[in-house]
Parts: sequence; structure tokens; C-alpha cells
Amino acid sequence: MARLEWSREELLEDVPTDEPLFAGGVRCHGGFAGGRYVSPRTANRVPAIRSWQERLRSEGQPLVDVPRAFVPPHYPNYPQAKLLLQEGVRDPITRSLTLISIVEGFGARIRDLALPDLRREVVEDIAGTALAHLGGGLFEAHARDEAGWRDQGGHKQMWEAARDLGLAKPEIPDDVLLAMMGGNGRGERRRLFPELAPRLEESIAFLANVMIVEIFAEDVFEWAKALLGDPEVSAEPAGAPALVAHIQADESPHVEYLRTALSELRARTLRSADGKRELAGREVVDRILETQLRQIASTRPARERADVQGAIRLALDDTPAAAQLARRFESLDSGWTFPKPDDERLVLLAR
Amino acid sequence: MTRLARRARVELERGWRATRIAWTATCVWLREKLPQWWDRALGRDPDARDYSAIHLRNAEQIFRTATTLRGLLLKVCQVVGTRSDVFPPEYVRTLARAQDRVPPRPFAVIRELVERELAKPLDAVFASFDPEPLASASLAQVHRARLVDGREVAVKVQYPDIEHIVRTDLASLRRICIVYERFDPQPLALLPLLDELQKHLALELDFRREVENAERVRALFRKNPDVVVPEIDFAHSTARVITMELVAGIKANDRAGLVAAGIELDEVVQGLTSLWNQMIMGLGFFHADPHPGNVLIQPGPRFVILDFGLAKQLPKGFGLGLFELMFSMMTENEAAMVRAFQELGFRTRTGDPEEMTDELFESIRKDPIVSVPSDFVLVARVFALLSGIAHTLGGRPNTLDSLGGRN
Repeated sequence: MARLEWSREELLEDVPTDEPLFAGGVRCHGGFAGGRYVSPRTANRVPAIRSWQERLRSEGQPLVDVPRAFVPPHYPNYPQAKLLLQEGVRDPITRSLTLISIVEGFGARIRDLALPDLRREVVEDIAGTALAHLGGGLFEAHARDEAGWRDQGGHKQMWEAARDLGLAKPEIPDDVLLAMMGGNGRGERRRLFPELAPRLEESIAFLANVMIVEIFAEDVFEWAKALLGDPEVSAEPAGAPALVAHIQADESPHVEYLRTALSELRARTLRSADGKRELAGREVVDRILETQLRQIASTRPARERADVQGAIRLALDDTPAAAQLARRFESLDSGWTFPKPDDERLVLLAR
Repeated sequence: MTRLARRARVELERGWRATRIAWTATCVWLREKLPQWWDRALGRDPDARDYSAIHLRNAEQIFRTATTLRGLLLKVCQVVGTRSDVFPPEYVRTLARAQDRVPPRPFAVIRELVERELAKPLDAVFASFDPEPLASASLAQVHRARLVDGREVAVKVQYPDIEHIVRTDLASLRRICIVYERFDPQPLALLPLLDELQKHLALELDFRREVENAERVRALFRKNPDVVVPEIDFAHSTARVITMELVAGIKANDRAGLVAAGIELDEVVQGLTSLWNQMIMGLGFFHADPHPGNVLIQPGPRFVILDFGLAKQLPKGFGLGLFELMFSMMTENEAAMVRAFQELGFRTRTGDPEEMTDELFESIRKDPIVSVPSDFVLVARVFALLSGIAHTLGGRPNTLDSLGGRN
């Protein structure tokens, strides 16, 4: 069997490159080897994830996944965004790309997740799994990828550079941060398994949430590559989408290690907080994942869509032929509807 | 009293204040330094010495000077009294008393000023007026009262001679800063900070501006039921008197009181951070003096914000720049941190950004910041005050959560 144990330093190790990546004048992570882009910290991380997945497969366990049919398309979609840019309505697109960069940066929070001692919470041995390596390099690599580290920029800076290249360094709307603020840190997730230690349930929910968001991001990458690569509206139709493609490549290990860790938990047995009961990991992980998926795939995108629509309408009101433009804009809507939280098809797929 | 005599009295007072401040500063400095020099002369490690008795003596002297002279020194004490994370506990415990336990001015002085400002006898406006103040602070004191129409109000009254006192104290502090910087180089230049303080104190002394600020903050949070800004009674407010709705609450740093009321301390810490982050980074206009006497907590928690004397409109792009700075610090991205510092307007002596990258703060020590963007001074003060409250409550705010990183 392939190697299953890796040190933190090994999981953070870079593949040697010939040329560094510069984006918008900022030295970023990763680089180029033989003319091809190489993602950061993948010298051992990618083979390690592959070996943990192989182990799962050899044990007859599936890898959890999210139904692609329920991945909400980015709003506004590519034709709508292109129309706005062509008509000089730039703020909604600038705001959208800026928020994407900030949200990516917030991905660094994963290094602050206080995991419980999984060796005590899980009945079976977890040695040689992704689970055992979360706090031992996987979270740190993820955090560094998203927000940058030391003298290197990460995805946050790469998205900013892609925005500035494609939209020729646009002015950032004043309200861009306010769109993200407003919460005061209160409000807790509903407990689904009160018999489990709270920190264990919170950690599983957090991992599930990040995995779903990472998978949903696939559509954002395609949208950004199409828009920023369109010579009719992009100032840098080659450079800007190339940066997005690099980010997309970097994100792949994130999705894979999260799927692997959740699948490993799913294949095991969890101890209740009082140590008197045992719960099937499958029951716990599936229910938490489905609950998260229903919440993220329905409530949140609908709310975000409403916010973006409001901002776009405001921007359109400023243009001379606002009503006509609004009609053209709406006619380009993809017609995609968000699943309802009780949609029976919204179930976890394990393959 | 003739004009000349008045002038002479003012000059004498000014001289006395300056001398007292200089004397206090010298005593404090020598009490700290002499034992260090002595230890070094005897080949002992000065850091091994127990300084608690010296700190306590210094703090008591500073507090005595501040409460005798009032004015600007009290303001400085208020800030130090909230920084349990920076200053020794002897200073914090002693100087925290400056927040609202300053000896009040006699009621006769207050009554005269209120009647002059409102151009009416006190009884014509108020059914009752408590001669004992609810709180007395550096620039003003607050009295509970009831208007003739029955409304319970708080009346904030500016001390009559405060403008002159502040001017004198600023001059004294400026001289002290110059001497301190010469004998004991600081990592951060003190004089630019003092320039800023001077600018903002002038704004704080105009109560009409304070009323405008309160209305603006109320408008910003009109959709947030967790934020309470007392209603202003415009008919009975002037440049030196503000009459406002009386709102109850527990002081933000009253740990025992908050616990007794069943209020979660973590929620208070997180809520305060979130509110001020929204004001500073999201809205671009903020209350710049959130010391514990200015923020009351009600069950919920709901946040009662008082005293809008110091508030500031930030320039375009400042909020995003500050966000980038905080974000880069929290995510250990030094290159982004340096870029954010530069975008915010920081300049070092050499102007070379590379100097800042490796060991940022060591570099600042070697290459002091000589130009601090003015807005940053007030923002830094806000975070210092909030950090002091958080430390007292035993909480640590999750800044990324409050910035919107919550999923």
C-alpha cells in the first residue's frame, strides 16, 4: 500500500519551480516548471491524498460528493455580466469579484478550527488517514493557499489581480465590505446529534460546509474565466483568466482532502460525549452534510441573489436607458431555480 | 476683576498646571529609571526587580495630578485604565478610576452654565435636576433630570473653563514628549500622535457636533435593534449642554454586573467588535471613543452607545485598506501587511518597503514611522479601548467572524 503517514513539513512542501508566479506585481505562491503552472505545497500533499483515497477504496468505502445539479450558477451569469460591462455598469461585477477574493481569503480561518481529539472521539484507529493529518499540515496548507503566507500572495491576492487585470483596475465600490458584515458572531448551528460532543459535531459541520462551498466554487471559476477571457469586455483576456485557472488548479486538493476526511469519518464509529453510546459515522456525516447542503443550496444563494439583484437594479437605474437595459438583462437569466430545502433529490451522493 | 488681572490669573494658572505636569512626569520617569541605573551599576539584572510598588506609587501620583488638574490628563488616564493588556495592573487599576469617578464640579457652577446656555432658569426647563452627577469625566459631567413634561433625561454639561485647560495641557504634554523622545527613544514618534489628539479635542468640545454625530450613528444602525442611541432633546441642547433620553445599562467592563444580569461575556466582546468594525470598515463613519463609560450593555445583549463627541468620517477607501491590514496580520501575510500599511498612508524614514518585510516591528524601531495617517490614530485608539474591555471581560473577539467570515 502507498505511504499513509506524512509529517506537517512534508505536506507543506513545494514542488521546485523554474519561475515564480507574479500577479498584479505581487509575488504569489506556486510557480512554473517547464512552462506549466505548479500549485503550491503539492509535492507530497497530492500523493498523500491519493493514497488515503486509495485506502478508502480498498476498504470498499465510497467518497462523499455533492450533486452537481444543485450547484447554483454564479449570479449574474456570464451573458448578463458581459452585458453590464458592455453598457458601462461595472460596479456589480467589481463588487462580485472583490467579494470572491475576500471570501477566498476567509478560507484561512480553517487553520483556527479547534478540532477535538479524534483519536478519542472515533472508535476505530484513524492512523494513516486524512483525518489524522487535518491539524498536521492539511489545514495549514489550505489556509496558506487561500490568504497567502509570509512574502507570497494567495488566492485572495490572485483574485484581486485577475479583477484588476480584466477590468483595468476598477474603482472598488464603498459598500463592498458592508455586504459581508452585519453579523455579531451570535447564532449557533442547530445541534443534530446532542449526544455527540459539541466540538465534534461543530467540526464535522464546518468541514462539510467548507467542502460544499469549495465544490460550489467550480461554477464561479468557469464564470470568471469566461468573462475575464472575453476580449470584448476584458482588458487582459489572456492574463486574467489564466490566473483564475491557476486558482482553480490549487483548489482541487482542498476538495479532495475534505471529501476524503469526511468519507473516513463516515466509514467509522463515533463515541457519544458520555462514552456510553456509539453512533455510525455514516448516519452522522450524511445527516450533517445533507442539512448543510440544503441550507447552502437553497436559503443562502437565494438571499445572495436577491442582494446582487438589488445592487444591479440600483446600478441600472443610473444608466440612461435603464428600463430597456433591465429587460435585456433579465432576458439573459439562465432560468435556473434554487432547490427547495425539502427537495427529495437534494441528498448526499456517495460514490 | 480687571482685564489685566484676569489675564494674570490665567497665566498663573497655566504656569501652575505646566509645572505640576512636568513635576509629575519627572517623578514618574526617575522612579522608573533610577532603580534600573542602580541595578546596572551593581551588575544586576534590572528586569529581575519587582516594580509593583513603584508602579503603584507612580499611578497614584498621576491619578492625583489628573484629578486635580482634570482636562486632558484625565483623558490620557482613561485610555491607560482600559489597557490591561499593555500596562502593569497597578496603573490600570488606579487610572481606571478616571473613567467616571472624577471628582465633580460643584453644582452651583453647573447650574450657572446650564441656565446661561438654555437662557432660562433651571426650574423653567426641569421638574427636577439631581445635583449629584451620574458621571463626571474629563471634559464634562452628566446629571439625571426630569423635564417639565415628565421625561427622564440625562443632561451633559461641559466644564466652563475646559478649552483653556486643554490648550495648556497640550502644550505641557508636547514639551514632555519632546524630552522623552530625546532621552528615551520610542518606537513610535509621539508628537504626530499629539498633533492628532489636539485636532480631535477641538471637535470634541463642540457639543452641536456631538448631537449631529449621534443622529448619524442612529441612522446607520436604524435597522439593528441591538444598537441603542439615546434620543436627543434638541430644544434643550446647545454647544455646551446636551439633553438626551436617559437609558439604563451595565458598564461594558463591569464583568460582575454583566454576569449577574445573565449576559454572555463572549457575546458582549464579539458584539462590540462587530459593531465598531461595521462602523469603521463598512460604513466609514464611527464613534471614536468607546471607553467603558460610553458603552452600556442591556440584556440581549443590546449595546447602548453614549457620548458622540469624538466621531469621524473616514476617507474613501480607508475601510478597505484597514480591512486589508487586519486581514493580512491575521493570516500572517507580511507582504500584504506592508502593502496595506503603504496604501493607508504610512511612510517610514527611508521610504523603503523592503525594510519592513523581514522583521516588521524591529524595522519600525530602526526606521521609525514619521508620518502616521491621521485617521489611523483614532482608529487605533478605538481598537485599543475595545481590546482593553475584551481583556477585562476575559474574552477574545474573533475578528474574522466580525468582519463577515462567519459561514
